[in-house]
Amino acid sequence: MFKDLDPILHSQLRLAVMSLLISVKEAEFTFLKEKTNATAGNLSVQIQKLKEVGYIDVIKQFKDNYPQTICKVTSIGIKAFEEYVKNLQVYLTQK
Amino acid sequence: MEQEKKLTEQESLHLITMMINKAKESYHDTGIGAIMWGAVIAICSLVRLSEVHFGYKLPFDIYLLTLVAIIPQIFISIKEKKERKIKSYDDPYLDYIWLGFGICIFLLIYITNNIFGEWGSWANEYKNITGKTASFRFSEYVAPLFLMLYGLPTFITGSACKFKPMLWGGIFCWICCIVAIYTSVKIDLLLTAASAIFAWLVPGVIMEKEYRMYKKEQAQLNV
Repeated sequence: MFKDLDPILHSQLRLAVMSLLISVKEAEFTFLKEKTNATAGNLSVQIQKLKEVGYIDVIKQFKDNYPQTICKVTSIGIKAFEEYVKNLQVYLTQK
Repeated sequence: MEQEKKLTEQESLHLITMMINKAKESYHDTGIGAIMWGAVIAICSLVRLSEVHFGYKLPFDIYLLTLVAIIPQIFISIKEKKERKIKSYDDPYLDYIWLGFGICIFLLIYITNNIFGEWGSWANEYKNITGKTASFRFSEYVAPLFLMLYGLPTFITGSACKFKPMLWGGIFCWICCIVAIYTSVKIDLLLTAASAIFAWLVPGVIMEKEYRMYKKEQAQLNV
């Protein structure tokens, strides 16, 4: 029986952001933008969605008088990501 | 990247792999710290070797250069931390390992200096009583102690960062440590210089080259 893939993660940009954040302890917004080639506006919206479901934490602070946004994956996010990958593997092996 | 593009399972898996690899490729150390320490330790050892070989003495202890090198190291660390856009899980552990290494080195200098003091007076007394010079020379066993310590953080950093030149550099330090037990002070100093070059200077140069290439690629992508 196939489990439904998490709709929050089954989206290109959100999945890309989660995959980047899962590999590091924390990352700056500019890093995520650089690696995903997304626009700042689009990325902000998707980060907000991930934050709303508790998959990531967003810290806004100032660095050398410039605003800085730092994102890090939460334990809920790690669990959701692991579950997503597990389901994905089930899909691929049973197809 | 569009956020709502419908992904197939294969595409999802491919995207995950690609992004994880991209994140991994982003860990780039500037290598400047490694270059500086490799050069400083190699210079100190070679200058001391020339002092022993040619029988002269500088008006100051050349190893004081290591204390002076702490100042630029602080600036390098602050600058690198500011420029870094990501923090890896290993970062704090590696920082503590190198800090602990620095503390151990200074403790070892303090301990060996104390032993030298004690040993010197004991050797003089021995000479006065027996008229012979003591055959055991503590100075011949100092370098292996330092080489053993040099190898530890280098080996750990090399394995944690999957950076083979540093991993092999750490192993090289330990090989030199074993060899130095059986060699004279002059050879010990040469082995120390070689260890500093292979464990830090060479990996540092490789790191710096990779960092420059990464920066160049990023600049081209952003054009």
